[in-house]
Amino acid sequence: MGAVHAKSMDPLPMHGKDLGVNPDDLMEHPEPEPDAKQEILENKDVVVQHVNIQGLGRTKEDLLGYEISDVFNAKNLIDVMKKAHIARQRLLRLGIFKEVEVLIDTSEGADALPNGLDVTFEVNEIKRLTGSYNTMVGNNEGSMVLGLKLPNMIGRAEKLTFQFSYGTKETSYGLSFFKPQPGYFERNLTLNMYKVTGQFPWSSLKETDRGVSAEFNFPVGPTSHMLKWEGVWRELGCLARSASFAVREESGHSLKSALSVCIHIFTPGLSLLIRMSILSIELAGFTGGDASFFKEDFELQLNRRLFWDSVLSASLWGGMLFPIEGKPSCIADRFYLGGPTSVRGFGMYSIGPQSEGDYLGGEAYWAGGLHLYTPLPFRPGRGGFGDLFRTHFFLNAGNLCNLNYGEGPRAHLQKLAECIRWSYGAGIVLRLGNIARLELNYCIPMGVQSGDRICDGVQFGAGIRFL
Amino acid sequence: MSLAAEAFVSQMAAAEPWPENATLYQPLKEDQILLSDSASSLAVQTYLRMCGLPVQVVCRPNAEYMSPSGKIPFIHVGNQVVSELGPIVQFSKAKGHSLSDGLDDVQRAEMKAYMELVNNMLLTAELFIQWCDEATVSQITRHRYGTPYSWPLNLILAYQKQWEVRRKMNAVGWGGKTVDQVYEDVSQCCQALSQRLGTQPYFFKIPTELDALVFGHLFTILTTQLTNTELLERVRSYSNLLSFCRRIEQTYFESQKAGGAPSP
Repeated sequence: MGAVHAKSMDPLPMHGKDLGVNPDDLMEHPEPEPDAKQEILENKDVVVQHVNIQGLGRTKEDLLGYEISDVFNAKNLIDVMKKAHIARQRLLRLGIFKEVEVLIDTSEGADALPNGLDVTFEVNEIKRLTGSYNTMVGNNEGSMVLGLKLPNMIGRAEKLTFQFSYGTKETSYGLSFFKPQPGYFERNLTLNMYKVTGQFPWSSLKETDRGVSAEFNFPVGPTSHMLKWEGVWRELGCLARSASFAVREESGHSLKSALSVCIHIFTPGLSLLIRMSILSIELAGFTGGDASFFKEDFELQLNRRLFWDSVLSASLWGGMLFPIEGKPSCIADRFYLGGPTSVRGFGMYSIGPQSEGDYLGGEAYWAGGLHLYTPLPFRPGRGGFGDLFRTHFFLNAGNLCNLNYGEGPRAHLQKLAECIRWSYGAGIVLRLGNIARLELNYCIPMGVQSGDRICDGVQFGAGIRFL
Repeated sequence: MSLAAEAFVSQMAAAEPWPENATLYQPLKEDQILLSDSASSLAVQTYLRMCGLPVQVVCRPNAEYMSPSGKIPFIHVGNQVVSELGPIVQFSKAKGHSLSDGLDDVQRAEMKAYMELVNNMLLTAELFIQWCDEATVSQITRHRYGTPYSWPLNLILAYQKQWEVRRKMNAVGWGGKTVDQVYEDVSQCCQALSQRLGTQPYFFKIPTELDALVFGHLFTILTTQLTNTELLERVRSYSNLLSFCRRIEQTYFESQKAGGAPSP
């Protein structure tokens, strides 16, 4: 087999996992090759004759065709390498291959052109079944969690996951089936079936949900959309004998069917998430049939880089719940506010309407935050662990209330603007990956209304979604 | 309730007098409530009337789930929530209202024994007929139990409750009984009550919680329509029990009709 031109050019890595090199990096390649060789490298016109994938087991080839088809359009060698790299990333994001290696060779065979190339992707499929077993210890409860995953079940990147958690207090499980559209991985369908239980000590409430849901995601330009239908059998109960009567009145079973639309607009520096749902909750025949709600909430976040590596971030959340037939809303659907993940300085979800110490949530809320993130003073551990930490100065404000729907929008806005709770302070933030965050803050709550529970002084928070 | 919990509730209860806005919660009267629940609720209402304690009856479809013990009825008095006749009697006693204070110890023991008889025989028989007799279950019970909910929740909850009651029947040894045997048990229980009552107006010299309990169950059986009239006939064959029910109804329920109090 003939020497591969690409192989003989040392500086350009062609094999292996560490092809984490960006197309831009490739462009920067500044090696001072003698002119003739450089010419071969950059200006030679090539034609990609064959693109092969080797190592397929159960994956169907038509699925992959879309991901690699762009490689055929490459006009010169650099282009081939760039497009091959992009195709490799696309294959990896399907989640069905453990590793993908790219091999570029001159083409051979009877129909080989002098400037023809063959690109081969050598793939290693993920095992058919993976499992995991964990034990978890949490709030006075221990549990055993068993997870099973069947990636690429039928050959077109479908995924079936099953998780089962057996604990000293509660048992929960979930089965999920994910199917992307071949060729458009971002357009996908997920079907879920689950039972989850939750305990909410701030409301003395416990909730058990058994439900099914179907979710369809699709991108439109720079935005991502989700359509979801969910049918849930919801059981509410009191967490303790001392629960207030208002919470006790909400105990019992109900059937909820909800259709929701969620739009996520994400551009550098700006993120906007809007969610609207139409909920239908079937309740007592006594009151004449179904009750429906229209629930809407949004989250807006703006980030801007300032001098000296610091970032200014502003966020605004809000939501409203409109009952459609005059039936009172259910405690499990209302909004809650307060705590280390929303308005800091207050107890967890401990703002707003309450009865005997149990927080009942509200039908409308807004919350805003202004944050300044800076690197740690004196930058300890720079370049390593210290980079995960940030100091953070914040100003949070928010309000949560129920509305009287006869009064019109003006009265609603007025009500939300009265009795604003707000707080300010500073602390340290630790980012865990791109997902979770730990915070340790010193907070000073202000605008506290009677009935709110505050947590002034040091407050610790861990979570995914922070104001 | 455990002893410590009872003592605690008594202490809390003794602190305040019986308020005006005491409420009793039960399932919906027209469509949902079942024989056994209706009997228990009527027993409590009768007891409170006998004590002269005002209570308002409120119907809620989720009353069974609101109740702290899962049983109907329960009362909401001040800050307290108490369910079932036994604890409610204790609760009212702690507030200073009692019907059985005039009895001596022997009589009180006898009263408790008869109350246990009613609970173990009559109440269990009612539950059996409601949930374990195929005809009744499919024609009446399942449909009524699921009325407040829409499909498929009405079926799921009705079947869940049916399995739960069947398990309980097996646990008390009634799992193998036939409906006829249960009717026989009801007859025997009525006979014992009839013999004890004799020609007296009440079981003891004064009306007590036993009278309230017996009235609750018998009156409900006499006035509830089931798939057949077997149960009704068995109870009706004891004439002194019939007149007992009539007497209590007239004394405590009809006499207040003029004042707007609803009949049971």
